[in-house]
Amino acid sequence: MIRSLSDISRLALEKGPKKLAVLAPEDEEFMLAVKRSWEKGCIEPVLIGDRDKMARVAETVGFDISRFEQIVEHDRQTVSDLGIGMLFSGDVSVVSKGQITTSYVYRSIIRAEAKAASGMTVTVVSIWEVPGVDHLVGFTDSGVNIRPDFKTKVEILRNAVFLCHLLGYETPGIAVLSGRRTFGEDLPSYTDYESLRRMAGSGCLGDCEILEATSIAEIFLGAGGRLKESVNEIDLSKTPHIFLAPCLDTANILAKLDLAMDIKRCSISVTSRGAVCIPARSDLSSAIEDQIEMGVVVADRIQEGVR
Amino acid sequence: MIGTFQKMIASARGGVRARLAVPLPIKQDLDLLCRVTEEGFILPVLIGDGGAMESLVKKSPLSSLEHEIVNVGEDPGEALSTAITLVREGRADILMQGGIGQKPFMEEVLDAKNGLLKSKVASYASIVQFQRREKLVLVTDTFINNFPGIAEKQIILENVLGLAGILGMEEPKVAVISAIEQVNPSIPSTLDAAALAKMAERGQFGKAVVDGPLDMDCALSRVAAARKNVRSVVTGNADIYLVPEIETGLPLVQALCFFGGMKTAGMMLGAKVPVIPDIPFISDEERAAELALAVLMTRKGGNHE
Repeated sequence: MIRSLSDISRLALEKGPKKLAVLAPEDEEFMLAVKRSWEKGCIEPVLIGDRDKMARVAETVGFDISRFEQIVEHDRQTVSDLGIGMLFSGDVSVVSKGQITTSYVYRSIIRAEAKAASGMTVTVVSIWEVPGVDHLVGFTDSGVNIRPDFKTKVEILRNAVFLCHLLGYETPGIAVLSGRRTFGEDLPSYTDYESLRRMAGSGCLGDCEILEATSIAEIFLGAGGRLKESVNEIDLSKTPHIFLAPCLDTANILAKLDLAMDIKRCSISVTSRGAVCIPARSDLSSAIEDQIEMGVVVADRIQEGVR
Repeated sequence: MIGTFQKMIASARGGVRARLAVPLPIKQDLDLLCRVTEEGFILPVLIGDGGAMESLVKKSPLSSLEHEIVNVGEDPGEALSTAITLVREGRADILMQGGIGQKPFMEEVLDAKNGLLKSKVASYASIVQFQRREKLVLVTDTFINNFPGIAEKQIILENVLGLAGILGMEEPKVAVISAIEQVNPSIPSTLDAAALAKMAERGQFGKAVVDGPLDMDCALSRVAAARKNVRSVVTGNADIYLVPEIETGLPLVQALCFFGGMKTAGMMLGAKVPVIPDIPFISDEERAAELALAVLMTRKGGNHE
């Protein structure tokens, strides 16, 4: 079972190289991550973007990119469409976003899924490596669906469960988050939690378990419980595999709290045809490397037909 | 500036004591009340069944410290309404939840007619001791308002700026956070954030510097913000995080607490006096800090009448 991003790195070395389309590696941090991932033998990159910008940053980071396939394209949407098109045609196993606005990439995936008639809803899982927790922890949907309705939440959850299964978590624990308190009006997120729990109980969501808790405090303290002494004494082993957030703001904001904690983060969208790494434009090269390695491992397991 | 919970408690020592109304105190409250009474900044006023409370106090060190008991019988509703009346009549300065359930406590306090609201919008600010920074950070609204619109967010921001002033933040930097740092009409929180930032630019929030929308990476890290071409004095150094809604605020502060190991406290704002709901993930040590902060609020006259 994969317990950490170190496990992912080890597996990426074993399973690579995978052909990776990089969308606009026009920034030193992204190009450096591509360079290191290639040097480690994880990837064989296809670089898509502005020729001059890619050449300039490659030179800066000391990376000879003349040996790799390069597709020159300036228009951002076209850059994204080309890379995602290669994934859906099977020309590459993985795609990684570079220094390009994420909305272009999501648009490309949505169009590609529609064209492929896969019926798959596009979602993103941001994954944390948390010290003291023996598995990776995902927050979803941190990228696409702004305020998902119940039907969309079911799809978001199914995608997350699929990712968990790919990572070897046979019966992932899912926390459906809600801002519900004991007072005030009921929130739709709580109603959704109750419905999802019923669905999971009847087996409609596949192998997963929905926790009987809708807040992080409830998970660790129990219903009606309270913090006694210090928060440092909390047993994090109860951490679920997935937090299903009520809306995009919540998932994205929570996921990026890694910058305030001793936590590593990477983000991925699992499409019907493979993995798309979704590093933030603010991420530094080491974090981008982690995400590329995650993409390589997920791609490998999709190819193996792990379900 | 008050940068730690310890300093909060130290700042409350030595001044005029505040009268704290505690409806139906429970044993855990007594331990806390002993601590803050010994510190010298609180005079507990215990409200409930006189006999039961006297028996409870006898088993506690509070018995040897100054306190008052108001006998109204064992009915929780009566205890709470008496506590609120004491506060409204100026016979108590601070209200804490005591042994009243969270639902009846919050509903009574927020009641438009008989509660303690000073304006239309009460809010709650979490106070977080950030691990990597030597300062307290405020996050709001993390408890009261479900889905505040721009008008409510304006008041929530004013409320927290009052608290920031009490903590000695002279020019607080406010990050109005959202999923993304760009203004996107499809994401309502970005529109609210942009409007609040513009209001601040026009001086509507005094000396506060307000920027938004900021996604969490820009808010937390100046390096991350620079990589997104976002340049602002708020990035990487915010004193206040204004969240879009309760669905975000509540899990955010809990994540900081449980995954970040960060100590948190909190305070209801926009009420006639400082009100302290019982939040299960706030430890006793930080509950003492909450009471110290409430005392500072009563002394400085901020955020209450």
